[in-house]
Amino acid sequence: MNQQGEGGRQDLRVLLQFCRADRRYEPLAALRVRYVVEGLTDDQPRAVEHSVLWYTEGKGEEDMGVHFFERLTERASLPPEAAAGTFTTLLPPSPLSYEGVIVKIRWCARVRLFFSGGRDFVSEYVFEMGRIPPARPPRAGDA
Amino acid sequence: MKLPRFFAKKRGHRRTGSQVWGSFGDGLFHAVLLGAGVVFGGLLASGVAVPEWRINHDFLPTSCTVVAKGLERHVTLSAPGRAEPTWQPCLRVRYEVAGIRRESWTRPSAGAATADRTLALTRLSSWRLGEQLPGWYDPSDVSRVVLERGYNWWMWLLALLLPGALLAFGGAGVVRSVRRWGKSEERRAAPSRLSGILDPLAGGPAQAPDHPGVPAGDDQVNSPGTQLRYRLPIESPENWTLLGFGLFAVLWNAILILLAVGAGLDLLGGRTDWLLIGLLVPFACVGVAGIVVFVRGLVLATAVGTTQLEISAHPLRPGGTYDVLLAQGGVGRFASLEATLELEEQATFRQGTDTRTEKLTVWRQPLQAWQDLQVTAGQRFEGRAVVSLPANAMHSFASEHNYVRWSIVVRGAPAGWPSFTRVFPVVVFPGVDGEGTPPSGRLSEAAP
Repeated sequence: MNQQGEGGRQDLRVLLQFCRADRRYEPLAALRVRYVVEGLTDDQPRAVEHSVLWYTEGKGEEDMGVHFFERLTERASLPPEAAAGTFTTLLPPSPLSYEGVIVKIRWCARVRLFFSGGRDFVSEYVFEMGRIPPARPPRAGDA
Repeated sequence: MKLPRFFAKKRGHRRTGSQVWGSFGDGLFHAVLLGAGVVFGGLLASGVAVPEWRINHDFLPTSCTVVAKGLERHVTLSAPGRAEPTWQPCLRVRYEVAGIRRESWTRPSAGAATADRTLALTRLSSWRLGEQLPGWYDPSDVSRVVLERGYNWWMWLLALLLPGALLAFGGAGVVRSVRRWGKSEERRAAPSRLSGILDPLAGGPAQAPDHPGVPAGDDQVNSPGTQLRYRLPIESPENWTLLGFGLFAVLWNAILILLAVGAGLDLLGGRTDWLLIGLLVPFACVGVAGIVVFVRGLVLATAVGTTQLEISAHPLRPGGTYDVLLAQGGVGRFASLEATLELEEQATFRQGTDTRTEKLTVWRQPLQAWQDLQVTAGQRFEGRAVVSLPANAMHSFASEHNYVRWSIVVRGAPAGWPSFTRVFPVVVFPGVDGEGTPPSGRLSEAAP
């Protein structure tokens, strides 16, 4: 879990719950995420974004591919009126999660809350797609 | 007001620039280009396009009589205290506007300005006093008359092309920056109908249909093999290096020859420029070294003979098995020739103002090795191997800065020549269930 936002929101939390407890998914499987927003103060969100995406990590610059994205702006679908929400998508066939040495591919679901003045708060939960074992550099005698 | 920070923390250990400031800088840069396009386009339109268009559409026809002629002298200062005159033939013509006789000076375009006064006089003599010429006058300023109409297409092209490019590039950049401003990175990265138009260079390498992040691999299937289905293309970065050495050798030695000819002519004229001759010696050494390096590279690249690799199917799938044919041309003995299947990671990153690329082989599987081969002219060596991909193999991956690449690597040790490595990239698609379940059957072919 990774949560970050701009100052003064220490109490704010967005908790995500996946339809599979181990957060391991096969390609083309259905992904259902339920989230709950806790610790909201008087400053109420004016928009919420849901996204499912992959990003690269490691030595290189970060690349990103957004598979699913939706933005909610209707008051009825925003906290505090709707303090919980769900979103569902069918995962694509690729890229699979990969734990390489200098290139890593991670899948995650994000919920981003937007407040007045352009401030935002994002909560990110990583999940696995596929079952690729971690890579390691070959030893001298491997070849 | 709290300004955004210049630096934000990236995943990992490196700090990257603030996206807000980055977008602001990008928008400002494109706004400057757009502004330059507007100003430049406005100047060209008001100075060239609009006057020419008015002459062709608004000016009214009349008949002009040449009543006087002369040369107009323009003086420009090319250097302090040095004036250079140019001469422009001019005609004074008489014409009628609504029954009223008028006279005006006009510059015929056939008598363009020249620095040669004699040439200008010759041009001027082509018009005779009393000669009748067709003309067109400006109805809003009847003292203005021209003797030719038509369009200067070169000027129009210049007027449209340069500001047009600035307007298109700057405008697209400004629209892109405005569309991105205040949006989350997910919203910006989500594909939209306009993203391809506004940012045609973004998006990274071509991807396989319905397989995000997997390279298309079209190059691997556009060449049929002689015995197996496809002949794989060779990846040859050393050929570009060789081309670079060749270009350097040609350019350097061309400059050297020019300098040497100059020095030789000086010597023949009885003058000796010792500084030039002193400079020629180290220049000649570098030139000779450039030729030697290029010729050596060329000999090494061509003397060993070509390596060809054919494969029974493509793209590959985890758990699949594929036949491979290795063919080695050339003449001579090879101490060894081996083929391996390799998985390589490649990451591109910025370090200061440099862009660096790091590669790392993370998996290697020997396919086949041959020892002590004798290759004769007209009969290439052919060897068979089988590629078996692990069922849980990672698929090929390509994004803008990160790659996971599969390739079949051929390493040879020809007798009397340095060892060589030749790389044949292949594309591995993901397995059906995410672990790489092999497709049914063995994806291999028997030789015909």
